[in-house]
Amino acid sequence: MGEGSGEQPILSQALLLSVAEELKLPLLQIARRAEQTQLAGAPDLTAAADIRTTAEAALRLVDNYALAVRLQLESAELLIEPVSVSSVLYDAGQQLDGYAKNYGVELELHIAGRYGTVMAHRHGLEAALVSLGSALIEALPAQESPQLKLQLATHRSRYGIVAGLYSPTPALTAAALRRGRRLQRHSRQPLLELSHASGAGVFVADAILQAMHLRLGASRHHRLYGLGTVLPSNNQLQLV
Amino acid sequence: MARILLIEPDYILARSYYEALSQAGHQVIPAAGAQTALLVADDIKPELIILELQLVEHSGVEFLYEFRSYPDWQRLPVILHTQVPPAEFNQSRQLLKQLNIQTYLYKPQTTLRALVAAVDRQLAVDQTDQPQAAGRRQKQRMTAA
Repeated sequence: MGEGSGEQPILSQALLLSVAEELKLPLLQIARRAEQTQLAGAPDLTAAADIRTTAEAALRLVDNYALAVRLQLESAELLIEPVSVSSVLYDAGQQLDGYAKNYGVELELHIAGRYGTVMAHRHGLEAALVSLGSALIEALPAQESPQLKLQLATHRSRYGIVAGLYSPTPALTAAALRRGRRLQRHSRQPLLELSHASGAGVFVADAILQAMHLRLGASRHHRLYGLGTVLPSNNQLQLV
Repeated sequence: MARILLIEPDYILARSYYEALSQAGHQVIPAAGAQTALLVADDIKPELIILELQLVEHSGVEFLYEFRSYPDWQRLPVILHTQVPPAEFNQSRQLLKQLNIQTYLYKPQTTLRALVAAVDRQLAVDQTDQPQAAGRRQKQRMTAA
């Protein structure tokens, strides 16, 4: 995502962005055809529902990748607004629910407590959480001892309000994330302990958060391990 | 049931939207581009338009400028159902307000069910607006008299 080494990375980023935009169309066609099959009451509704959920998840990944690129290229126009973290987590949960069911992952929402609002790019924050969630949903069942639980949660830390995804799997560590970032351009499977695939959703989330001047990091929530981001709380917003 | 002009350039997506809206009881007339849409609108007198902004040759915004320039079409409800993402759309929000657009749906995140619901909602708003507008017009006439 960086633009450190001259013009070439920007050119290829622009090309990849067009490819991503182009890919959205067939994925959208598949998703809507499958939904129409469901609405028309076809005999095998389960298959149509699975096709639709999978196509929508792929569409979200491509769309969020495109958003990450756009945010990085046009960070000056970042629309920052007061955002309720709980409502972003709720909306992300709504988007991930069907996909989690497809993979047999139990998705929980843990937003108890009053966290007020933070200043953030709402759409970007939601996209980052959804990308991260999709990657973890795919990854959990492939692990040696799969524990198919994932929690979208928020809590307060001394640095601000943390929003992230948590699971009982100890593979979600800062070291795994660090290694993954290092290997991302060089390995087909950079998050070796975590995902059997490329784990692209984690890196898309990472890129979106970076573009919003936030960081993806490892954190704990009760006894769960997870990845999330710290959103600086704003005392003035608490008065609103 | 309403007559809906569906301006959608992609054939396969247009078919899905056509089927879902027809199944919901609406009469749907598809058009792939802005020129055809203007001709069709003149012919069928739609009650609502669903519009993609990314069209071939003339954009959806050009279509709207042309369409809204006719007095008959200035108040007709138009739903933007588009591939243009919210982040980019934010920059032209003011412009679309001028063009009297109330509903924007981001296509990749809008299910058929959500599209049908948005259409029904828009038609219901339009129906409640119409008697009020008629009432207002009558009142104005009485005041003038």
